[in-house]
Amino acid sequence: MITLNVNGKTVQANVTDKDTPLLWVLRDVLGLTGTKYGCGIEVCGACTVLIDGQREHSCVFDVGSAIGKQIVTIEGLSPAGTQNHPVQQAWIRNQVPQCGYCQPGMIMACVAGMKAGHHGSELLSEMKHLCVCGTYQRIRDTVANL
Amino acid sequence: MAHGTLRTPAGEEKKHRIGRRGFIASALGGLSVAFTLPETGRVLGLKAAQGPDPGTLANAYVHIGTDGSITLMFGGAEMGQGIKTGLAQILAEELMVDWEQVTVQQSPVNPTVSYLTGGSTAVSGRYNNLRTAGAAARELLIQAAMTATGDRDRNHYSAAHAVVTYTGPNGGPQSWPYGSLAARAASEAVPADLRLTAPANFRIIGKPVPRVDTPSKVDGSAKFGIDTWFPDMVFAAIRHAPAIGGTLAGTPAKPEGAIAVVPCKASDNRGSVKAGSINAVAVVASNTWLAKKLADKLSVKWNPPPSPASVDSAQIAAQAASLLAGGAALVAEPAAPAGQTPAGYASVIEPQVANALGTPALDATYTLPFLSHATMEVMSCSVRLTWADSSKTLVTRCEIWAPTQAANWVAGTAAALINAGQATPISPSAIEVTTTYLGGGLGRKIEQDYISQAIQVALAVKLPVKLTWMREEDFSHDNYRPTAAVRVQATLGGGGVTAWWLRNVSQSILGQRGWLPPGAVDSQAVEGAVHLPYTMGIRLTEWVPLPAGIPVGFWRSVGSSINTFAVECAIDELAQHAGADPFAFRQNLLSDPRHIAVLQAADQMSLWRLSLPKGHAWGLAMSEWNGTIVCQVAEISQPAAGSLTVHRVACALDCGQAINPDQVAAQMEGGIVHGLNAALWGQVTFTAGKADQKNYSRYRMIRVKEMPQVTVQLVPSGNPPSGIGEAAVPPIAPALANAYSRLRGSRVRSLPFFPGATMGGL
Repeated sequence: MITLNVNGKTVQANVTDKDTPLLWVLRDVLGLTGTKYGCGIEVCGACTVLIDGQREHSCVFDVGSAIGKQIVTIEGLSPAGTQNHPVQQAWIRNQVPQCGYCQPGMIMACVAGMKAGHHGSELLSEMKHLCVCGTYQRIRDTVANL
Repeated sequence: MAHGTLRTPAGEEKKHRIGRRGFIASALGGLSVAFTLPETGRVLGLKAAQGPDPGTLANAYVHIGTDGSITLMFGGAEMGQGIKTGLAQILAEELMVDWEQVTVQQSPVNPTVSYLTGGSTAVSGRYNNLRTAGAAARELLIQAAMTATGDRDRNHYSAAHAVVTYTGPNGGPQSWPYGSLAARAASEAVPADLRLTAPANFRIIGKPVPRVDTPSKVDGSAKFGIDTWFPDMVFAAIRHAPAIGGTLAGTPAKPEGAIAVVPCKASDNRGSVKAGSINAVAVVASNTWLAKKLADKLSVKWNPPPSPASVDSAQIAAQAASLLAGGAALVAEPAAPAGQTPAGYASVIEPQVANALGTPALDATYTLPFLSHATMEVMSCSVRLTWADSSKTLVTRCEIWAPTQAANWVAGTAAALINAGQATPISPSAIEVTTTYLGGGLGRKIEQDYISQAIQVALAVKLPVKLTWMREEDFSHDNYRPTAAVRVQATLGGGGVTAWWLRNVSQSILGQRGWLPPGAVDSQAVEGAVHLPYTMGIRLTEWVPLPAGIPVGFWRSVGSSINTFAVECAIDELAQHAGADPFAFRQNLLSDPRHIAVLQAADQMSLWRLSLPKGHAWGLAMSEWNGTIVCQVAEISQPAAGSLTVHRVACALDCGQAINPDQVAAQMEGGIVHGLNAALWGQVTFTAGKADQKNYSRYRMIRVKEMPQVTVQLVPSGNPPSGIGEAAVPPIAPALANAYSRLRGSRVRSLPFFPGATMGGL
């Protein structure tokens, strides 16, 4: 059993192997399924979360290294009853998602960039995630104005 | 419960009839109108190939609750195409409610009813029946108001914003919210003259309303198949035989830390388990990662495929080349006259065409690779069984959560597997399939392999289980877009094409599934090569089946993704030979006004092509897909060898009545990306059955900074809606190749442009 801080709450996770990628602890042990599995090798970005405010790919981030840190997933970005994050609002305004599977990772990466003070084209240059539906045009139009 | 058969305006009887089965009793209270969302286009073709269609039973219904709730229940799949929003718009239009008032829910699946989602028919194919159902529900509510007032003059009633208003003499003006009429409406009869709204008066159809699923897709709450989760579930990872066609040589021992190791039998494409053919093992553990790690370490012995050559890309390519030169062809077009077999007909017509061709101006061979679907969401399925007895021998309930394009096939797969192990069959109504959101479908999630495996694991471990494929398994065990070799010969004369011969060599998607009668041409293999809009002197289109062992399937735009490349490159090459402008050359061959209008719209949209910077070039291609005509003009440059920059794509289309123009644009933008990925880099190769590309790192796709500027223009035609999900894919590859020819003076006739491309990390 390990103790994690996820979305501002302290949670116990029944994991014996601390090398387990954080992705699978979030999804399978804690039931936080908004963070997605796409490639497992840091190519697609679907698993992006914030750890101590930094963008991380949870598919290769071992859970042991996340102990004692602040983990934020898409579920924690705008908890129930709060207003959507400005990135989420912009995403809705521009009707970005199609299937929607890659979008939580895209949004978390964008939030991380903004936390680092990046905007517009600088932010856009960091957006390398894969979207097989091809929502790139709308992502570009959205991020360029953030 | 309402009774009766609808009658509709003269001349539209067939389109707008709801049969007796259109009305069902509902336990929900209020008013229910049930109907069939039909299958058209490719899906209809598939159904025809499989025999009688059970889809005459209702597979959707509209429910109006006494609380005023308006719900459209249907069993299809939302995989990015905006189906929930599009259907809500159509229903709201005729029901005279605001589109936000309609909730679209997944309906329970009846295994005897079809819920196939594919062939770009999700919205367009359901247009007429859904409008009719909405109008029927509206009129039943008005009938209920008539019963309340005693005034049966329809002219005294109107419906708007989910309220019926009466302006007649009986008791003065009155109004009723729909909910207050719903219970009474259920015992009314549908009127004889059911009128549909004239398109000129549409309030909601044709408007770019925001999608109903967007909020849940930006806050992580949208549940995809892979997201199914409950506290007591276990997790399974799958490990297939490394080579396609390989089988398990011996069941490995359960490793420490695993809950179980389950050998899984291969299934055919409808879920029937192939006797004796165990092609995978599942490892079950307390989380997916542990299951995957244990599966990776498992010491497994596999038998090699019985015919390694039939699953080897180099051997398959050599065989295709040989068949292109001398294989026995089936005539796809023109169809053989009665009494002649397609095969025999080839020997009759080929000499005529050869004579007309003489020395052809063009003799070109185009080749295309196997492609993976590579949906962002991998294959995943969750199963929870309930047993009659504590020893868990008799399954009495089976719940399945799956990202599937064929929910009723899932139910059939479950019934077959469960009943194979118990004497008392499970009740069909005890198999409950929930279609989740799909993290991309693209034709892959019509298949039953991952469904069958999850059910086999659940039956073996007798615990609720989620099975998830790792990405490497997904790339290695897809039902791939077939490889193909296409040869075109054509002769010029009088400013046009006097003779044209096209021969396609490719595997048969339908044949591999047993859905193709012997000697028949696979419609999927030749689509995009037949029914061309171009007028030519004499034309022959042939298909030669390629007997390879790679599993092939439906990949967004299927055969058109192959044949449109050959046809539109060939037309462009002919224009070059003739010294003609490619717009003018095509227009000269076209007679259909819709095609001409789309071509001209693309011409006007792309006037930038007349003043391109040095080192830039443009290319054009067009195609018709399931009634939707698309013409694209691409601008490219090549700043460095081994890559292309695609700067912009102008896309004109006629998809008939657009339900939601913003979603039409989204499908064009996304379809162009899908086609670009395939044209530039897409390729799966096999070495003795083993896929050489096992993850995105070797299956390059464009990233956001490489996205061309896409502009979309709808060309109105007054036609009913036609499919938009696949139509943008076929033209982009030939548009690129035609631009490349103008840029470099040499032709790319073999896709992808840049084989072997890799993709680095983030």
